[in-house]
Amino acid sequence: MNAAAEFDVKGLNFYYAGNVHAIKNITLPVHKKNVTALIGPSGCGKTTLLRCFNRMHDLYPGNRYEGEILFKGENIFSDEIDLIDLRSRIGMVFQKPTPFPMSIFDNIAYGLRLKGVKKISGLSERVEKALNNAALWDEVKDKLHASAYELSGGQQQRLVIARALAVEPEVILFDEPTSALDPISTSKIEDLIVELKKNLTIIIVTHNMQQAARISDMTGFMMLGDLIEYDSTDKIFTNPSEKLTGDYITGRFG
Amino acid sequence: MTRVRKRKIEGVIAMVLCTVAALTGLFWLVFILGDVLAHGIKALNLNLFINDPAPAGVEGGGLRNAFIGQLLITLCATLIGVPIGVLGGTFLAEYARGRRIARLISILSDIMVSVPSIVIGTFIYAVLVKPIGHFSGWAGAIALSIIMIPVVLRTTEDMLRLVPWTLREAAFALGAPYYKVIIQIVYRGASTGILTGILLSIARVSGETAPLLFTSFNNSFFSADMNKPIASLTVTIFQYAMGPYESWHSQAWAASLVITLSILTLTVIGRLLIKGRHGKR
Repeated sequence: MNAAAEFDVKGLNFYYAGNVHAIKNITLPVHKKNVTALIGPSGCGKTTLLRCFNRMHDLYPGNRYEGEILFKGENIFSDEIDLIDLRSRIGMVFQKPTPFPMSIFDNIAYGLRLKGVKKISGLSERVEKALNNAALWDEVKDKLHASAYELSGGQQQRLVIARALAVEPEVILFDEPTSALDPISTSKIEDLIVELKKNLTIIIVTHNMQQAARISDMTGFMMLGDLIEYDSTDKIFTNPSEKLTGDYITGRFG
Repeated sequence: MTRVRKRKIEGVIAMVLCTVAALTGLFWLVFILGDVLAHGIKALNLNLFINDPAPAGVEGGGLRNAFIGQLLITLCATLIGVPIGVLGGTFLAEYARGRRIARLISILSDIMVSVPSIVIGTFIYAVLVKPIGHFSGWAGAIALSIIMIPVVLRTTEDMLRLVPWTLREAAFALGAPYYKVIIQIVYRGASTGILTGILLSIARVSGETAPLLFTSFNNSFFSADMNKPIASLTVTIFQYAMGPYESWHSQAWAASLVITLSILTLTVIGRLLIKGRHGKR
């Protein structure tokens, strides 16, 4: 809980094209090897905040950041940051599974090949390891060269997690990773996230408050672009300091 | 009760009208195909493919020059038109997405698709044939490629837009540079769609006569030299059908059959690819 900071978000403001102020002066530390959950009603900016960490907003013209996010002490908005390097150190898993139109093996190998791992032997070992870490190996080991589209939604989501894990990132960002999945697949992915925490830092956006309570160490509650409260998950769910937080987690709105 | 009755009668009338319209369309289609088949099959033989034309008025001979010429012109047109079309479509869907220039080029391409092909033929005549001083296979190929480009460009653009953005984001999130995202992820996801567009555009230009009349012209002798006038099936059909000899007429029928079947095959493959793609997802 009191681990060193992976990220230090300092006075972050974010504007979508057309000057829409989506993130309002947010400051928070993200601790190493912790699960940090971001919760809040729809449109509160939690996904927008998440996508700042790997500068996903840069893909769309007109978006603007202000303030800083320090990643291991280095401001990710500085001109010297190599985005390709940054994104290979910070993985991301999306709401809907995003398997690439290729085989299961090639999906996992994609990031490795980008990084220049060419030797077949090293490659297949790392693919197996990644699939194992994502608790998918036993289900797919006999059909590695089948299309990734043949897998179920839950399996596809674990495939995508394995793909992110294969490049050995330091952080993984999860954007509502279970909202399109059934309860069994959801619980598998939750178990997986708790397991992954041993080795890397996780930030997860979720609509499901029970999920945040189950798997996270720290929770941030957001509303309309403001970070209302940020504290340990226990504190947020049992004794929040802000009335708004309490109202939201007890289901009075949202 | 009367309201229901009235509605039923209206329904029957609408159905009858639609059926009649469909049958009218089908009738002419079947009539044309049947006629081409009936006349063409009689004149279809191996000589047609392996012999060059006999002197005018003399029986026998074939259309080897026109078959080879047609293939050469179409192949060169494809080699010129497809890369430009695919790269242009990529520019519109990826690099220029959301910009006004992309919208403008899209609209202009749509207009280009419906420009009468003879206009393109005369345009190439003015800018290529006249200054150089003679008809050539290249001029024909370029005229056809100009017809292909907007077709390929717009299909590529549409197919690339169908690839969900989250797929690109997922690749970016792994640290992929944009050109790799496009080549390795987006093209792969859109490959059948793009291929279909290419096949349909080849089918489209294979039947063109007007743009070739002013560019590659015709050649009664065998030539594979793209710098010289070169024979093509469509122009040959035009010339032979207008000609005074019975043997020319039957060869024109045979050539019509071959070109119709080729275009039909390309189109059917294209359609099957589209169907296969929707079946898979």
